[in-house]
Amino acid sequence: MSFLKAQKPFAARYLTLSVALSAANGLLIIAQAWLFAAIVAAVVVEKRDLSGVATWLAALPPLFLARAGLAWAAEYFAFQAAARVKSELRARLVSHVMKLGPVGLAGEATGRIVSAVTDAVQMIEPYFMRYLTAVPLVAILPLAILVAVLPHDWLSATVFAVTAPLIPLFMILIGAGAERMNQRQWRKLARMSGHLLDVIQGLTTLKIFNASRSEAARVAQMAEAYRRDTMTVLRLAFLSSLVLEFFATVSIAVVAVLTGFRLMWGDMVFFDGLFVLMLAPEFYMPLRNMGTAYHARMEAVGAAERVVEILDMPVPGSPSGTRKLDGGRGCAVRFDGVSLIFPDGRRALDGVSFDIAAGERVALVGPSGSGKSTIFNLLLGFVAPSAGLVAIDGVPFGELALDDWRRRIAYLPQRPHLFEATAAQNIAMRLDGADVDREAVRQAARQAQADDFITALPRGYDTPIGEHGAGLSGGEAQRLALARAFYRDASFVLLDEATAHLDADNESLIGRAVDQLSRGRTLLAIAHRLDTVRAADRIIVLDHGRVVETGSHQDLLARGGTYAQLWSHSREGRIEP
Amino acid sequence: MTEIIRLLKFFRVYRRWIALSIALSVAAIAANIALIATSGWFITAMGLAGLAGVAMNYFTPAAMIRGFAIVRTGGRYAERLISHEATFRLLAVLRTWFYERIEPLAPAGLQAFRSGDLFTRIRNDIDRLELFFLRLFAPAAVALLVSLMVVMVLWLYDGRIALTQFGLFALAGVLLPAAVLRFGAAPSERITERTARLNMLVVDSVEGLAELHLYGQAQARAASLRALSDDIIADERRLARLSAISQAGVGLAANLAMFLALLLAVPAVALGHIAPPELTMLALMALVSFEAITPIPLAIQSLPGTLASARRLFAIADAPPPVRDPLEPVPVPQQGDLVFEGVCLTYPGAREAALTDIDLRLAPGRRIAVMGPSGAGKSSLVGLALRFWEPSRGRITYGGVALDRMPSDELRRRFSVVSQHDHLFTATIADNLRVANPGASDADLEDACRIAQIHEFIVAQPDGYRTYVGMNGLKLSGGQARRLAVARALLKDAPVLVLDEPTEGMDGETEQALLAAVMKARSDRAVLLITHRPVRLETMNEIVRIENGRVVR
Ligand SMILES: Nc1ncnc2c1ncn2[C@@H]1O[C@H](COP(=O)(O)OP(=O)(O)OP(=O)(O)O)[C@@H](O)[C@H]1O
Ligand SMILES: [Mg+2]
Repeated sequence: MSFLKAQKPFAARYLTLSVALSAANGLLIIAQAWLFAAIVAAVVVEKRDLSGVATWLAALPPLFLARAGLAWAAEYFAFQAAARVKSELRARLVSHVMKLGPVGLAGEATGRIVSAVTDAVQMIEPYFMRYLTAVPLVAILPLAILVAVLPHDWLSATVFAVTAPLIPLFMILIGAGAERMNQRQWRKLARMSGHLLDVIQGLTTLKIFNASRSEAARVAQMAEAYRRDTMTVLRLAFLSSLVLEFFATVSIAVVAVLTGFRLMWGDMVFFDGLFVLMLAPEFYMPLRNMGTAYHARMEAVGAAERVVEILDMPVPGSPSGTRKLDGGRGCAVRFDGVSLIFPDGRRALDGVSFDIAAGERVALVGPSGSGKSTIFNLLLGFVAPSAGLVAIDGVPFGELALDDWRRRIAYLPQRPHLFEATAAQNIAMRLDGADVDREAVRQAARQAQADDFITALPRGYDTPIGEHGAGLSGGEAQRLALARAFYRDASFVLLDEATAHLDADNESLIGRAVDQLSRGRTLLAIAHRLDTVRAADRIIVLDHGRVVETGSHQDLLARGGTYAQLWSHSREGRIEP
Repeated sequence: MTEIIRLLKFFRVYRRWIALSIALSVAAIAANIALIATSGWFITAMGLAGLAGVAMNYFTPAAMIRGFAIVRTGGRYAERLISHEATFRLLAVLRTWFYERIEPLAPAGLQAFRSGDLFTRIRNDIDRLELFFLRLFAPAAVALLVSLMVVMVLWLYDGRIALTQFGLFALAGVLLPAAVLRFGAAPSERITERTARLNMLVVDSVEGLAELHLYGQAQARAASLRALSDDIIADERRLARLSAISQAGVGLAANLAMFLALLLAVPAVALGHIAPPELTMLALMALVSFEAITPIPLAIQSLPGTLASARRLFAIADAPPPVRDPLEPVPVPQQGDLVFEGVCLTYPGAREAALTDIDLRLAPGRRIAVMGPSGAGKSSLVGLALRFWEPSRGRITYGGVALDRMPSDELRRRFSVVSQHDHLFTATIADNLRVANPGASDADLEDACRIAQIHEFIVAQPDGYRTYVGMNGLKLSGGQARRLAVARALLKDAPVLVLDEPTEGMDGETEQALLAAVMKARSDRAVLLITHRPVRLETMNEIVRIENGRVVR
């Protein structure tokens, strides 16, 4: 709630404008009621004809036009208020998601993020457009009408004054439980969103396991649960509308009947009676509007909670410093007693220390989960160490200008992402549609053994690439991503299993290309298979977040430790095809 | 137009609900008109009676006023409940319907779509249909009925007032919406398209976050997301401006109606054609009856976007399945040889065949290793065997029956597959495993995971088998994810085991252990092992080498 309020400054100017215009419109309604009552009274009581009421009649059309103009402008500014907030909020969400990075976001279903960025932000609109504009009017308009009515008819004014406070009272009573339900509805929606995207992405897997049909039941069940929660919330909203309408309508009826009797008894002049009757619905209108908007408010509160959840996720990476490295090609890396403990208590690294000299080629080896990827994430700035120091060329990591540092890295992750773009754009990583250097792209593709198959694609380098490389074989997708790393003239090369999904021929061709790429550069490669590490100058062996051995292939074999054991396993049972 | 008819057809199931909600809505609006008009008539008549010092029957009108007040509130409430209930039920049904439509298309028929786009269809596009049912169809019917009623009532008193009212109704309820439609169609459709694009880009960005940062594209991507969002907001602004105009327009028309009623009725009162209380009544009726028209321009404005959403849904729902099940399916043999005879496959749009003249026989209990360079066509064999694709030429049989004569999901029961890109769901490890076999016991899960060399790792986690696998299983390393996929496949009890590069991303030790354990535990199964690494091949009966889509011996 406080979060929503905090967004108000973005919209304040427009909100004030909109409210002021609506208030002016409300005052004109009083004038209109007055004119109407005067005309009818003159005709009915004084038996005047058209010419007798012509001046009053003539005043009406300009009044109508003024009211239409005010209504238009008020509505438009109300939208502007909401638009400002929406634009601002989405920008903040997007930039926070970017800041969180892959490590900060891990564990959050993509569909949930999508629904926060699009739906939740959209749901906040009515709060600003309807609720915040309705609330001040409740204080202004009924009061103005009361002041207008009082001199003419104290009894009706009393009816108004007594019933008006009852309405918000009832609404608050009804609204008390609604907030919680709204939040529940939102959680359901977020869950459904997360699940739907997951199912869509895993549809083929579900089909393989004959689970896709039974998944339909899950989808139905979720859609149904979401409907039920939506309806629970709506039923409450309708109930509060009912109460509002009931009071408003019954009050109008009571005013009409009371007025009628007093007119018959001669306690009241006809003009006063009609004037009051005309204003009775208008008196309750702002209250009714607020009642309707109250529902919008609750929806927005639920939605805002989703937004806040994401905005509150802690950024695990270190903030960027400002120091830029000098131009040189290689760069030295130093880890000094680096530990990383995740918020959930997992200890990913435990006092890791090593040095990599500029131009050295180092392989990281170790069983699954030993901390290899975490070292990469530290070097990429996606996560900051809990203790210890990472330094590049002697500069502590936290002082580095991240953009500049990252620009020096060629990186191939274990599961590279292929973007919604053409093959060429994916290699050059120009996703914004800017021109790419064709020759450089082809050169990189050739090095990654990707030129042949890309040329054979339906539209060659301009073929749009499917999600997760749909339309490509596993190794082709890998080579395309590899070309991306080759495209970059980097001083530091980080490879996470460069030759995954590749056959021996491709592997050796690419191995040679990687050799070339890393000449004069620093190379740090994760190797899951040891054949690929023999060429490394040095091998760092990790286990359970600790460095257990370092040395060259020969050294480590001679030592007969963990590495030697791993190596002998990897040779077992191997025959040449 | 065809979309409208198709949408209406969906609603046929709920036609009684809808009819009821329309009736209630008409009653509620009519009651409100009557309430105000009667009140006006009542106080005028009472005022005149008071002035003349005569008595009048006030019981009936006073009771009517109270009655109208109750019908008004109750009717509104009941109408809202019913119409929303019906609509949301329908939306829930539509979501399932859409899922059932895309399911047969996967994977071949969905290859051209991004998951973010499909997601938008099943989420936002279906939600947008709410507008069609709730805001357009029923209100239009109500507006038509109420305005006819009002015009008829006015006609009883004064033909000219009835005609001007009719004209103003037409202006506000037809002409104004038509204008709105003309100017609002483009932005409204654009919003639908761009929302889909926004969702798609968010998915793309979240999944490629590391690369975006690394290649200095994070700022640019954030900027383009912002720009896209602001484009959407700009279109919403256009629509807001329009709807502000149309709302003000309807208000103006209502006021004009009152004005014209006065203008026409005042002389009639002087002439004695209309009784004085009727003057108040007619003028107020003219004014208040526009309540029925108010929602129309707004609804019309959202129509193009809603129809664009409907088109997006139907476009996929109508897509022919890439592989059709036979009309008279033959039961799938329990066991049998999987045979490829002269099979060719050319993917749609591809310049070259992915597979050419493939002959292959996998007998029960036999083990074949398929090797070959990347892109040779190994995985395509799996796609064909599972009937995700159909051969362009040649024949594939299982147990002597051609695949295209059997129901394909029955066929898939014979295969237990680790595909090259198995998806791990955002769920617990146990749930991910049970995808293969919902009835599997905890002991079954553990057995499978032991064979897949992942059990130790799982039990070392604080939550064990209930550990949540993060976004697309990203918290797991590639090798761990792979082993989980193998465990999952092992849980499915099928005569043919297909492993497409099951040990990718694993260290040699694990790879050895995993393959040895799988072969031992499933010694009775036919195995098709796709690999490019010559590991454990001595346990294979046959090694097939594929190059350039052909078998080379
Ligand atoms: N869904 C698809 N649509 C179009 N073309 C495809 C599709 N899948 C694969 N191809 C193409 O068919 C050829 C064979 O691909 P396939 O996936 O069978 O190779 P593979 O032998 O499994 O390779 P890898 O070892 O790299 O996984 C490749 O040229 C690939 O580009
Ligand atoms: Mg493959």
